[in-house]
Amino acid sequence: MVDEKILTIKNLKKNFKKHRVLRGIDFELSKGERVVVLGPSGSGKSTFLRCINRLEEPSAGEIYFHDNLITDKNIRAMREKIGMVFQHFNLISNLTVMENLTLAPVKLKLMSQEEAEKKARDLLRHIGLLEKADAFPASLSGGQKQRVAIIRAMMMEPEILLFDEPTSALDPESIGDVLALIRELADKGMTIIIVTHEMGFAKEIASKIIFIDEGKIIEEGTPKDFFNHPKTPRVQEFLEKVL
Amino acid sequence: MEDFFQKIIELFTTPEYIDSLLHGFLLTLEISFFAIIIGFLLGTLIALIETAKKSKWLVIPKFICRVYTTIIRGTPMALQLFIMFFIIFAIRDFPELITAVLAFGLNSAAYTSEIIRGGILSVDKGQTEAGLALGLSRQTIFWKIVAPQAIKNIIPALGNEIITVIKETAIVSMVGMYDLNMAAKDIGSGQNMASYIVPMFTAALFYLATVYLITFFVRGVEKKLRKSDITG
Repeated sequence: MVDEKILTIKNLKKNFKKHRVLRGIDFELSKGERVVVLGPSGSGKSTFLRCINRLEEPSAGEIYFHDNLITDKNIRAMREKIGMVFQHFNLISNLTVMENLTLAPVKLKLMSQEEAEKKARDLLRHIGLLEKADAFPASLSGGQKQRVAIIRAMMMEPEILLFDEPTSALDPESIGDVLALIRELADKGMTIIIVTHEMGFAKEIASKIIFIDEGKIIEEGTPKDFFNHPKTPRVQEFLEKVL
Repeated sequence: MEDFFQKIIELFTTPEYIDSLLHGFLLTLEISFFAIIIGFLLGTLIALIETAKKSKWLVIPKFICRVYTTIIRGTPMALQLFIMFFIIFAIRDFPELITAVLAFGLNSAAYTSEIIRGGILSVDKGQTEAGLALGLSRQTIFWKIVAPQAIKNIIPALGNEIITVIKETAIVSMVGMYDLNMAAKDIGSGQNMASYIVPMFTAALFYLATVYLITFFVRGVEKKLRKSDITG
């Protein structure tokens, strides 16, 4: 595979008031990579993800999508290509499942209403939730909501999918369904960055693991190296606690 | 007791009294209706400015809105009414109705803006973020996502505000306007029935019926809007 860079992040910093959450992150993402972001809570993992599609305004640094510097002016066009799945699903509660899926692609003129509905039905059928097309999100279980949220992101045919702790708000039973869907996307070659606490899943799915602590990437490597031969004491300590 | 029934019959069989009551009631409704419309439109505008994303263009408008709502909510309605009548619109032959409508409308706008602002802010931030992450514009997010959800939270408080305005208009009798409250006082005075009890209770029933009707209507709207909350 040609090493096509999709994301290049240079010296990304983010402060909340005086609190320095990200202290200079350098990161590159190539097509087809599956990066799992690990780290203790409060280390800046989610902030890192949210800076990529500018749900948080970076305080300093540059983010390039392919060769284009992401700015406030072009961010909307970038977001169409950078999908995001949230910890709390964030399905639009006043819209039905079908409307959740079709709103953005139709509004942004990527598809006609008919095309969007057809695609939505195909995806819903695929995840076994076709009969929920006209239901409101409130009537879905957590796992169902998250799977709909994932296919909502897929409707846009993104080049990258960002997952911000996609299973942290789920009951153990639904976690498996959601992970299976993410795994399937990964197998199809989707480029993924995922923040998760599911170590087993991280080990299995990641092509690369990065470990963030106190706003910096302190270690990165293949899952094998990372889990079997952690280099830094901080990661060794972390792994001892979680494994 | 017999006297009481006598008075009821007297009130409802004297055309001048009925006429006065209805005239008063009509004025109360007119002031309330237009004041509520102005309050809603101006209140919405203020709420939109106050909840808009920070930008240098909005610094001054945001400041003006803050000052406006602070002053209006911090001073008595009756005093605001006096200021409108005896200072700002102390112009000979200027229509009283317009002065009163403006006084109540401008007052209601401050409260309505707070209600709408609260409603908008009560919508989960994740809903906006979902829209942003999909590449939707702020306008689309507002009209398709935030506003419909905010309305659900706004309607009950807005109903309350409508009721408040209707009842508060009773103070226009203090500047000599002939509203429902004034009509009750006039009919009960010495030159007329020489007894306040029946006209005043009648006026009370008029207010009560109006408020009841509005409450009923608002409940209906609430119920309709809540259909997306149904689980299971």
